[in-house]
Amino acid sequence: MAIYSGSEGMIDLFEQQTSQLKQSHFLILYWVTQAEDRGVRYNITNVFDDLKALGITRTKQNAVAYVETLAALCFIQVRDESNRKNLYITTHGARALKTLLTSRNFSYQPSTFLEAAS
Amino acid sequence: MSIGIGGAGSKLASMLDHGTCTIVNVSDVELNKVEASTKIRAVIHSHRGQYRGSRKSPELGRTAFASVSDKMLELIQGQILFSSTGGGTGNGLSSELLESLSGMRNVPTLDKTTFAFVLPYPDREATEFVDNTIEFLGGPLSMAIDGGNTGNIILFSNREKFLRKLPEAEYNALLIDSLERFLAIPDKGAEHHLLDGHIDYEDFSLYQSRPYFNHFTQFVYDPQLPFAQQLTSNYNPLLLPPAAAIEALFLLEVPDPHQTPAFYQVLDHFAKEGVAPVYSVVHNPTLSEPLMTLSILYSRKPLELVEDFTSISEKSKRTRLEKSLDQHVTLARLDVDLEGEAKKLATKRGDNGEEIIATLKRLGKL
Repeated sequence: MAIYSGSEGMIDLFEQQTSQLKQSHFLILYWVTQAEDRGVRYNITNVFDDLKALGITRTKQNAVAYVETLAALCFIQVRDESNRKNLYITTHGARALKTLLTSRNFSYQPSTFLEAAS
Repeated sequence: MSIGIGGAGSKLASMLDHGTCTIVNVSDVELNKVEASTKIRAVIHSHRGQYRGSRKSPELGRTAFASVSDKMLELIQGQILFSSTGGGTGNGLSSELLESLSGMRNVPTLDKTTFAFVLPYPDREATEFVDNTIEFLGGPLSMAIDGGNTGNIILFSNREKFLRKLPEAEYNALLIDSLERFLAIPDKGAEHHLLDGHIDYEDFSLYQSRPYFNHFTQFVYDPQLPFAQQLTSNYNPLLLPPAAAIEALFLLEVPDPHQTPAFYQVLDHFAKEGVAPVYSVVHNPTLSEPLMTLSILYSRKPLELVEDFTSISEKSKRTRLEKSLDQHVTLARLDVDLEGEAKKLATKRGDNGEEIIATLKRLGKL
């Protein structure tokens, strides 16, 4: 099943990019989607807090690195809004998340920030 | 003086003459357990200290030999050395000793060492003991026999211990008693009135310096019965059974000097095998019947001994294997649909992929 409607080389590239994503990348994509759906602004600090709460990382540098990776792959967009770097999923990110959902066995874990916000 | 190597060897040496024996071990704990005039600790490089033995590993015993080699090669000259072949220390140190001896040019007759080895009973003892013994018989012992630089080699077997269900100390006492009866032959010759033949201390030492297996036994001798029949029914059960005799030595003690000619029958028996025994007939008035103390030197290729052990060992391994096959239970195959189970769990938790995809579609991202 072709997920990406580009040329064959681009499909390969996309598959390689998504195949290297980890659980933390998956969670960020998942939380960003949920936040956008609920109309809540979700920023890098929230990502750090949520990953820290789950024991995935203890340093902000790691959280920033995950976010920058996803931004560099154009899977999320980082927008400077009111002195905050808010995150939004892109169409590429949406396709990546769909791929991860159907092909890999990542576990869903809740965002502490979003649970508190709802 | 006797020398005991390892746990089992030390106990036997101490039992034979604790006043003058020397024991060698790699473990301080084991050395302290046994009474001996000299105790030698062979050094192994262990960061935990030398409180444990070699745990059935002959390699540890072999490594430890380097620290005591010169001392031991000097110490064993003309002595009796006890060791087991199943454990680690006895097997390892004895292996190195035998290999060193077999590499020597010519050991003077009176400096040759009598080796007494205790072999495990394969039907009852741990596989490690049996495997160590098989390696020992096929390797160092075989080399030593080819080299011809040892004295008599006595092969005690633990078989009788298990068959008669004897405590270890009691069994060791039996082994030592049996050996002492053999070693007492020249003393008895000197003590009692000699009726025929003569075994003096020099003859006895010379006999002990022959590099063959020694099977000795003692039994009440009935001159009216064929000797061959009496011999086969009175083999020493504490030793491995002998093969054809190469040399023989016997002491016949008779309560009545008129019974002296009875020994000719024994000579006739050995003459048929081409062997002329060294013998002594003495008058022992304390006895009620003639008593025969006899030793046969025989040679068996170590390979044959190994085959005996291997066949018994293989038989018991096969039995164990059959038992483990009997116990094997075929488990019913469970087909678990992991993906389906994961989806069910996700649905139960309210999160599932389809919901997210729907969300992404709603957001116009897909």
